[in-house]
Amino acid sequence: MAQEPHLVLCVDDELIGLKVRKILLERAGYRVLTAPDGSAGLELFASEPIDCVVLDYSMPGMNGGEVAAKMRQAKPHIPILLLSAYIGLPSEVLSMVDLCMTKGEGPPVLLSKLGSLLQPISRA
Amino acid sequence: MNLSQFNRILRQVFLLPVVALLLAAVALYLQIQGANSTVRLIQESDAHISQVSRLNTLILNEESALRGYENTSDARFLQPYLDASPRLQAEFDKMRSLPGLDEVEKGYIDDLIEKHQLWLDAFALPVVATIEAGGQVRDVDLNLRGKSMMDDIRHDLSNTTHNAEQRRAVRINLWQDQVRRMEWFLLVLALCVGIFIGLFTRNRLHAVSDAYRTSLDVLGRRAEEIFQSEQQLRTTLASIGDGVITCDTEGLVQMMNPVAMELTGWSQAEAYGRPLETIFHIVNEATRATVENPVSKVKRLNRIVGLGNHTILIRKDKTELHIADSGAPIRDRTDGIAGVVMVFRDITLERKTQDALLANEKLAVAGRLAATIAHEIHNPLDSVSNLLYLMRNGATKEESVQFMDMAEQELARVTQISRAMLGLYRESRAPVLVDLKEMLQEILLLMERRFSDDQVIVHTDLPSGISVDAFPAELRQVFSNLITNAAEAAGPGGQVNVSLRPQPALSINGIKQESGATVTITDNGIGIPEEVQPHLFQPFFTTKGERGTGLGLWVSRGIVTKHGGTIDLASDTSEATHGTSVSVFLATKPTINAGGD
Repeated sequence: MAQEPHLVLCVDDELIGLKVRKILLERAGYRVLTAPDGSAGLELFASEPIDCVVLDYSMPGMNGGEVAAKMRQAKPHIPILLLSAYIGLPSEVLSMVDLCMTKGEGPPVLLSKLGSLLQPISRA
Repeated sequence: MNLSQFNRILRQVFLLPVVALLLAAVALYLQIQGANSTVRLIQESDAHISQVSRLNTLILNEESALRGYENTSDARFLQPYLDASPRLQAEFDKMRSLPGLDEVEKGYIDDLIEKHQLWLDAFALPVVATIEAGGQVRDVDLNLRGKSMMDDIRHDLSNTTHNAEQRRAVRINLWQDQVRRMEWFLLVLALCVGIFIGLFTRNRLHAVSDAYRTSLDVLGRRAEEIFQSEQQLRTTLASIGDGVITCDTEGLVQMMNPVAMELTGWSQAEAYGRPLETIFHIVNEATRATVENPVSKVKRLNRIVGLGNHTILIRKDKTELHIADSGAPIRDRTDGIAGVVMVFRDITLERKTQDALLANEKLAVAGRLAATIAHEIHNPLDSVSNLLYLMRNGATKEESVQFMDMAEQELARVTQISRAMLGLYRESRAPVLVDLKEMLQEILLLMERRFSDDQVIVHTDLPSGISVDAFPAELRQVFSNLITNAAEAAGPGGQVNVSLRPQPALSINGIKQESGATVTITDNGIGIPEEVQPHLFQPFFTTKGERGTGLGLWVSRGIVTKHGGTIDLASDTSEATHGTSVSVFLATKPTINAGGD
């Protein structure tokens, strides 16, 4: 696998959670960029060659739904995994992202979902 | 016509005939006096005539006795003469002193006395002297002269008598005239007085009868009006949707309307005259203790009383109804209590609805909080499970220590949140001492995420050591409600201020306020328009559309009222100083108002 590891953008206002998620994903072999809120995330999304986004839903200022909408406008093909502490998010938000999971489901679920999102790209 | 006018007429009708009759009597009296004086004159004439006749008799006696003595010379025949002479002198004196003699009569009498004296001196005394001396008096001339003298005397006597009789006849005529006049006068007077009294009385009685007719008309109209108004009242009472029972001051049932009969299960006939507590048997919902008899309560307080809200009416068939009721005194004209009227209605359904609404709002609050809490717990849990995964999959020792620190921090967060959450729905049966600072901080902690999501800046001014007796779960509901409202009103970038102030006991305009604390929650949102403000505390009123239940402030006020506190809202929509401020006053040692809602 000469290919460079995928670059994942994590956006979350939970700083400890974000830090732990970064370590976890790096251990799993991804390169990780982090942003503490929606606008910082969008800036990185625009400037960096992001392969995939792990996005928290509930954030101050701009929530995950709004951030996802903007990302879709900018680069519609980049997969987005929406993480949320809530169950039952609005359906228009769910339809906008590729996958969605509830926080607390555990790292294996996160890694496998992330893997399934990135496989088609790695195959290509 | 009023009573004094009527009395005046009565007096007139009574007094006028009396006055008229008195006048008539006076006139009659004067007439009779006149007649009497005439009668007196007649009597005088009579006395006069009889005196003359006595004189006549005595003179006759003298003459006859003298003649007998002449013939017989026997002294015994002379005796009547001797008897008559001194009497005659006295009778003459009496005659002269009789009242009512005119000059003519006096002249006659003087003439008579003179002639009699002449007869005595010139005839009688010489004859007696001659015979006593033993002589005879046979001289014809002498006797003729004596006879002529006596004839003169007789003539005078007859004249006097005739004169007296004439005067008497004149006087009798006068008297008869007077009597006739009096008869006419009486007749005319009687007619006049009678007609006058009749006309006057008729006139006065007409006035009275007119007034009486008017009074009758008025009375009739009044009676009709009273009947109509009574009918109207009766219909109104029967149509009232609430039960109405009236009692006398002894608390005995007088009247019940159909709703009251239906609610109590007693009919009017059964209930009439029975004590109210038999018909209207009410107990407290919670304690089952019999509630104070409304009649005695109204009499004691002498004003309208609302009877406890949590009242159960036990019907005749022992079934139960939740009722809301009130009692009011029935005032008489002197402002005393003439009875008591009870008004009550069945609120069983209302209570169930209200309970359902309260439960609903509680669920809504719980739902909102559950979402927040889920978020607050899932975040640290996510971190912890990630950390555990990392440690399990080969972490260095330093890394493990670092990971465990982080996991502990996250777990501490979970613990803190679950504690705050526990407090929110822990029901307590009796009020407990609540530290307001602690409670408000816990609520703010649970809502922190929400504030940061909405970019609301929260300022607090919470001095420690301010506590009140309260039901903590309910107060949390109130404050979380009010703070949520404030945060929503403030909007992104807005500010919410939560402050706590002790409130010393004070008395404003004689209204005493207990000591306690005031929690003020202020936002700098756009403010609430004045026309909306009166509706804020009504159930189902919401400015949040689908997002609100419209029950928050209604329930909050209910809870605050139950705690014996007050909730006030002030809002400003002006450009420069817009915002809303809600103050909740809670007494330190409140009288918990069970069911103050």
